[in-house]
Amino acid sequence: MSSLSSSLSIAMQSLNAASGELQLTNSNIANANTPGYTRKVAVLQEAPPTSEGGLSAGNGVVLEGYQSIRDELVQGQIQQETQAQSGANAQLASLQQIQPAFTTSTQDIGTQMSALFASISSLSTNPTGSSARQGVLVAGKNLATAFNTTSNTLTSLQASLNTQVTQDVGQINQLTKQIAALNPQLAEMKANGQDGGTLQDQQDQMVLQLSALTNVAVTQNSSGVTLTTGNGTALVMGSQSFALQTTSGTNGMTQVLDQNGTNITAGLTGGDLGGTIQTRDNSIASLLNQLDTLASQFATAFNAAQAAGTDQNGNTGQNFFTPPTTTAGYAGLMQMAITDPAAIAASSDGSAGSNGNLAAFSNVQSTALPSGSAPGDMYASLVYQVGSLTSNANAESSATTASLLQLNNQLSSTSGVSIDEESANLITYQQAYEAAARVISTIQQLFSVTVSMGTAAAE
Amino acid sequence: MRVANMVPSMQYQMQQSQQALNTALQQVSTGLRVNQPSDDPTASANMVASLAASAATDQYTSNLTSVTSLMQTADSAISSVVTSLNSTITLGTEGANGTESAANRQALSSQVEGILTDIVAQANTAYQGAYIFGGSATTTPPFVAASTTYTSAQGTAANPLATTTALTAGSITSISDATTGQTMVFKAAAGDTIATLQAAIATAASAGTLSPGTTATINAAGQLSIGTNTDTAGIVVNSNDAALGSMSAASGTAVANAYAYVGNNSVNTVQVGDAMSVATNIPGNQMFTSGPNVIASLNGLITALQSGDTTQMGTATSAVSAALTYVSQQRVPLDNSLSQLNSQETYLGQEKVTLTTYQDSLTGISLAEAATNLSQAELTNNAVLAAAAKSMPQTLLDYLK
Repeated sequence: MSSLSSSLSIAMQSLNAASGELQLTNSNIANANTPGYTRKVAVLQEAPPTSEGGLSAGNGVVLEGYQSIRDELVQGQIQQETQAQSGANAQLASLQQIQPAFTTSTQDIGTQMSALFASISSLSTNPTGSSARQGVLVAGKNLATAFNTTSNTLTSLQASLNTQVTQDVGQINQLTKQIAALNPQLAEMKANGQDGGTLQDQQDQMVLQLSALTNVAVTQNSSGVTLTTGNGTALVMGSQSFALQTTSGTNGMTQVLDQNGTNITAGLTGGDLGGTIQTRDNSIASLLNQLDTLASQFATAFNAAQAAGTDQNGNTGQNFFTPPTTTAGYAGLMQMAITDPAAIAASSDGSAGSNGNLAAFSNVQSTALPSGSAPGDMYASLVYQVGSLTSNANAESSATTASLLQLNNQLSSTSGVSIDEESANLITYQQAYEAAARVISTIQQLFSVTVSMGTAAAE
Repeated sequence: MRVANMVPSMQYQMQQSQQALNTALQQVSTGLRVNQPSDDPTASANMVASLAASAATDQYTSNLTSVTSLMQTADSAISSVVTSLNSTITLGTEGANGTESAANRQALSSQVEGILTDIVAQANTAYQGAYIFGGSATTTPPFVAASTTYTSAQGTAANPLATTTALTAGSITSISDATTGQTMVFKAAAGDTIATLQAAIATAASAGTLSPGTTATINAAGQLSIGTNTDTAGIVVNSNDAALGSMSAASGTAVANAYAYVGNNSVNTVQVGDAMSVATNIPGNQMFTSGPNVIASLNGLITALQSGDTTQMGTATSAVSAALTYVSQQRVPLDNSLSQLNSQETYLGQEKVTLTTYQDSLTGISLAEAATNLSQAELTNNAVLAAAAKSMPQTLLDYLK
């Protein structure tokens, strides 16, 4: 039976709905800049009508709840792209630190190598000149220093990347623990047909943070989100998280193990951890290996040239550089083995004034080392590799940044908060609220008219 | 499409245009398109090779300068020798015409002796402290006045050397003979004694390397004495054997006008181009004591002038004349090298320009292009900033009053 009091209750419901919408708008505006926030809308439904003798009258509005506007597909793409971007950025940051060592300057290996050969050529014009001999020693020392410096740049970077691996694994473990903790709550809400809302936002944001660290595969099921690394190692299943472990490898490089102790280092490719491991174990390791090969073969060739000649004192030439015992690490250890200018074996016939053996030194410049190319070419190839690795990482970083921007815009167009839109909504809801309040005030007047019916006041 | 927030896109645009601006600015200020390997990996790698070639070219140019001065010094020494030989021929011809008095001939002979001293001085020319006519033995004068006898520092009457005295393995004893113009080099092997050296000297004397009669004996003072046993043949002995000590000429045994060559036959070459090397010295024995022997021919003329035999004087003068021809011939390759060096210098200059141009094209950027890039980048950046400044502060709230 329609009555004033039922109208009042309808008005109350609409007040309720309007204030709920206002609160939601308020919350949307407040979180406009919160990372991972998805805008929420109120779910309103028409209340079931009451029928009376063939008459059906509306019963107002019911505020059913709130709904987050999500796009799981784009969200997944963003996670993928974030992995690629973080990986590329990690590589780029390291390679940019390496580049200066391979950039033409007064100190780089290429310049010092040329300077050494120039000093030898200069000595050939005056084989007994002590300043020319001193010049060769200084140039040799400078070249050794250039090798040392370049090698140190690479090894110290490798060491700091090694620390980064441990830090990344620590962060991954913390995130997987938090993600797993949210799973039961979200599963329960889902089972009850509720929207995950803020909790889901939080979990999505943490999964995104995890994607920035390593490559994770994300699957959703009734028990919440399941996360595995790219090569299938479980990280999160239901309420359980599986911590990764680290251990020091035989070469002193930190290795990443799954919860069973299996080494999964090589399988970690994306994200900061993947990029770091990739740079540490592939790019830098390969550059160091080539640098060591160049240094040791160069030193061996120079020592052989020394041994073929006679020094100024009539003795067979001693080692010019410290002889390499092993190739690994030699670039960092390379030193001059002679300090006496007279010890340079310039002479081919034993007399002090001969320069015959200097050709053996000069030949090192144009002769292929055992590795297959001449020293200058080997160094040029290193420069090319450093340049190309950096420029590739740079290109990938730019590309993923642009594509992430695109994806984020796409997501934002679905889930993002538009202040303008919310402002407009605010006015709509304000008017709805005012209208409902007006209804109540009208009913109140009607009530007082009804109550004072037949009294003096009504007359 | 619903646009919720323009800020990320704008930030990205600003970042991009600022990056472009930064690159353009760097290009203008450095004049380089490639500032680090990643800017152009291939150009950077090519640059390494090209810079090495540049450094080599610079060094070749510098080598060329010092080699040229050295060869000019040698050439002027030879030129002076040629002049001296010409005047010697005049003197010889004058002596040989038979009308000169004994006193005049003696004066002529003194003049030739003076010329011989001059020529030896020229043959002992040094450039930057290195003797240029000594082969690779550049640290001591290549032509040394010869004596008939050299004695060792080691050995005393009380404690004499003996034929059984062991020599130091690896030590070198050399005997340069002024008459034969040859040098015997004896390198002691393990177990060698003075007797081994004596045998080697005997062999060399019979082979003609040393003048006949050259022997090594232990003298009354207990020293090793190496001598020619004739007062006209001179030698110079050097040894670094500690068992013998340094060898020195016995006083009063100097042979007049006899000089022994103590240098060697080595020729040093210096690279002045990727495929060009020049010999920087002429061994003195090749120049002055082989073929028509310069020093011997002068020596012969002195003897002839002193003897008064006009036929002998004529023969000796012809020998000097032959020596002059020989020296002039020897000078030709040197002069050729000098003119080669001259053209190589021009070539190196061009090569340097070519390399520099190539390097510019690899990593450089023209100022005009860089400036255009910069103003374009500035324009873009201004536009992006202006657009952001205009649109960012605008919201619906501005209009809701």
